Amino acid sequence: MKVLVIEDSATTRRIIKKNLAAFNLTDIEEAENGEEALAKLDGIDIVLTDWNMPVMDGLTMVKTIRANPKYKDLPIMMITSQAAKKEVIEALKNGVNGYIVKPFTAATLAEKVKGLLARCNPVSEAE
Amino acid sequence: MDVKYINPFISSLNNTLETMLSVSPGRNQPFLKSNNKASGDVSGIIGFASQEVVGSVALTFPEKAALKAYELLMGETLPHINEEVQDMVGELANIVAGGAKEEFNAIGIVYHISIPTVVTGKGHSIGHKGGVPVVVIPFELNGLPFYMEVSMKVKPGLPTVQKLVAENVAG
Repeated sequence: MKVLVIEDSATTRRIIKKNLAAFNLTDIEEAENGEEALAKLDGIDIVLTDWNMPVMDGLTMVKTIRANPKYKDLPIMMITSQAAKKEVIEALKNGVNGYIVKPFTAATLAEKVKGLLARCNPVSEAE
Repeated sequence: MDVKYINPFISSLNNTLETMLSVSPGRNQPFLKSNNKASGDVSGIIGFASQEVVGSVALTFPEKAALKAYELLMGETLPHINEEVQDMVGELANIVAGGAKEEFNAIGIVYHISIPTVVTGKGHSIGHKGGVPVVVIPFELNGLPFYMEVSMKVKPGLPTVQKLVAENVAG
């Protein structure tokens, strides 16, 4: 199970990686923005992405990913400070499968990521 | 006191620190800032704008408070502010500004936020947006002071956040 973590904050990338490792997701690719991430999608099983990033934001990246039939079923979780309900709806309408509002706890991240993996790919669920 | 333009940021800051650092920050009386100098050694600034408002919110930490926040978040003790601490402060400002959105939406204010800017150094300046005086809300993290600064210009017909605070301080 290979995870792509897209986040411009190195601090938050470290926190996400540490939390993922707690439930055995240790094969992790990283990117600092959407543009960098688009070049790293091959072989990725789940994408965890921030929204508010320089160069290419997370929502633009998600739209680009979903425009490619190859990645139409790739599970994408948005982890963002964009806390307004209308933003959650906008993200979901544009192809995001799950949404975590920062600040988040390790328990929330685990629950949401495990839930998304179970929904999208039950035979490959972590653990 | 009507603090409807400050409370969303205070609520968001409390929630951010309680969730990420497992601490409830102490809070002191807000005041109007008299110059553009930061009270801290590292500051994270986020601009926001919409048809209703333009402004910015900043978190500024003296070194001791910044290092304590990093220790609480990452479980590591650092001797000085470094790139990782700077990144943390920018991310905290980002989360506070984003987290306040839903509460602002409830009073009819919608805004988009910028990418965080981080400034460091003794006596550095913070360039706020909005062109209006800045409100400073002092906080304490495990007894160590740090500050949130808010500058918000709202469309005509709504009282400015600075006016509301000035009235409260005067009263």
